Amino acid sequence: MNRRHAAVRTAALTVVLTVPLAGCLGPMPQPLPGLNSRLEAIGSSRSPALAGRWLALIGGRDGREQVQLVDLERQLPVPLPGLNRPDAQPIAVSVDAAGERLALVRHLEGRTELVLYRRGLMALEPIAMQPPGVPRRVNLRADGRELAVEVSRGGVWQVDLIQVP
Amino acid sequence: MPACGSWSWGRRSAGPSGLGGPTNREDPALSGNGRYLASLVERGGRRTVLLQEQPSGRELPLPELRRFQPHRSPSLSWNGRYLALLVQQGGRHLAVIQDRATGRLHRLPLGGDRELERLSLAPDGRRLALELVSQGRSRLELLDLTPLLEPDLPATPLSGGGPLR
Repeated sequence: MNRRHAAVRTAALTVVLTVPLAGCLGPMPQPLPGLNSRLEAIGSSRSPALAGRWLALIGGRDGREQVQLVDLERQLPVPLPGLNRPDAQPIAVSVDAAGERLALVRHLEGRTELVLYRRGLMALEPIAMQPPGVPRRVNLRADGRELAVEVSRGGVWQVDLIQVP
Repeated sequence: MPACGSWSWGRRSAGPSGLGGPTNREDPALSGNGRYLASLVERGGRRTVLLQEQPSGRELPLPELRRFQPHRSPSLSWNGRYLALLVQQGGRHLAVIQDRATGRLHRLPLGGDRELERLSLAPDGRRLALELVSQGRSRLELLDLTPLLEPDLPATPLSGGGPLR
């Protein structure tokens, strides 16, 4: 009897000691090897933006960078006709959860501009900074209805919120 | 619908950061539903994330993050439950995710000598994209957060933005 009690006590003690330890270590996030090797194949890539099943990024080889939109479910990039230009340098990108709208800051013909791209329409619309300023990083709300953009005005960085019609 | 020149852009400044005077505000991130705005401001000479309710501008305290400045690259989930960002701890850069529902701070240790440059949290909290730089080259890596976080989903599911498994 005594031996059985001792065994039960030992088992209980083991549980008491190991459970908090497991709690400290906790579950860990796991890399996604399939997707990560797909991303590796793009070459150099930066400026990630996740929403829904989409990953928008700026990537490319030999210093020629383009905006790319990767469908994470199919693990393939989708075409973005009319968005990339060989003479434009992309600076920042963001996508909504439907994968329909992309907000992009790019340097083109000596100026930096914010544009909104609608994939369904294959249409690109510039968004002027008012008052004038130089945009840099941009974040499109996941529901696509509004964007936040960092704008330099008179040497100070500000944040503008712009509703997307 | 024709896509040129006909859209009107409702816009506003993100409003005061409560710091007085013209101060830099950088790297904005909106929650998927637009209720929260995270941005970076200088506090005590250190770059610090500022989380505000919109449109009131009311600041939400983030005491768990106070020890880990400078902060960089904030990213918010759909309803603003999770705030992911890069922090500094003991000279090392670290990705963390603050769960505002539980007050828990998840630290995501990353192996190797790779420098963290940016991150993006998927609005539903299921994935995290990291921009890593090693040997002068930047590349992206995706992590599966489903073992770590409960999803933070929109009240009304969007078409085309369905969650990934």
